[in-house]
Amino acid sequence: MMMFNALLKKLMNRGDDSKNVAKKRLKFALVYDKLEIKEDMLEDLQRDLIEVISRYFEIDRQHMSLDIERSEESSALIMNTPILAARHKKPQPDNARA
Amino acid sequence: MDGKVVVVTSGKGGVGKTTVTSSLGAALALQGKRVAVVDMDIGLRNLDVIMGLENRIVFNVVDVVQGRCKLKQAMIKDRRINNLYLIPASQSDEKNVIQPENMKWLCNRLKKEFDFTLLDCPAGIEQGFKNSIEAADEAIVVCMPEISSVRDADRVIGLLYSRSITPKLVVNRIIPKMVEKGDMLSHKDVVEVLSIDLIGLVEMDESVVVSSNTGLPIVMQKESKAGRAFMQIAMRMNGHPDLPVEDPMAPKSFWKKLGGKISRKNKVH
Repeated sequence: MMMFNALLKKLMNRGDDSKNVAKKRLKFALVYDKLEIKEDMLEDLQRDLIEVISRYFEIDRQHMSLDIERSEESSALIMNTPILAARHKKPQPDNARA
Repeated sequence: MDGKVVVVTSGKGGVGKTTVTSSLGAALALQGKRVAVVDMDIGLRNLDVIMGLENRIVFNVVDVVQGRCKLKQAMIKDRRINNLYLIPASQSDEKNVIQPENMKWLCNRLKKEFDFTLLDCPAGIEQGFKNSIEAADEAIVVCMPEISSVRDADRVIGLLYSRSITPKLVVNRIIPKMVEKGDMLSHKDVVEVLSIDLIGLVEMDESVVVSSNTGLPIVMQKESKAGRAFMQIAMRMNGHPDLPVEDPMAPKSFWKKLGGKISRKNKVH
């Protein structure tokens, strides 16, 4: 009888087993865990991005924002910066400046 | 040639690190290797009781690295199994009395004398963990088929990778009946989530509790399923990496099941 019940359960609700729930939750948790970053990392990234972008554009540094947005399906790094003007001079590589 | 230093770790506590370390140590020694096992859980030692060697401790690993005794003096020889030695942890010190460079020095010395040095890593990812992985050549991650254990294992695996160690996985305390019912992650699920190589599967086995009660190595009990699983893991570590992992969930054929039931019934009556 037990065997029959187990078989019936298997046929009826595939994917509803508690282990499948566990696996799904686990996969989500691991993805989220890996997205967690240290406090100062975003600040460092912002500083580096400003440096690179400033070679090409004059930007309004006060109104720049950088954030990580998370949703169920995906995560994205969102950066927003007002541009004041483009720099028309060809940017010099770092080592040529010295 | 120098031996290997293998760290046994898990992140989460209570998943069976100490049992795995002591059993693999015993198994490798029974297979003819020279083995040292080191308890790295400073302040909370337990490998000594699991191995049944607790009443022979004079010196410990902290005494060795701080120069209070010679390495030989801190090594306890197992009298039941040839070539198996334990270096116990200290029970009174703080974790940070040992630094990673101490472990490098210690393991370099042990490597010269032993084919395998197994480090029983404490739970967590703090100082004790850092000390343990510092000198390791290889790693075994122990994990139970359960959500928090797998998550912590994933974290530890990441930290091992960042030290250029590719760990192998032991799935411990699997209950085939629950797996068959779909109420427990199977070893395949765990391997899929963690995506590392499996080196062994150990079923939930009551004889492990009995063996820790008595301090007798589980691998010396021939009828123990867990004991056999540990012997096989040791074989895989010891030159037979391709020894197949037996699947405890392999469905028995209908006739075998029926046969088993009938014979059991006959015994009862």
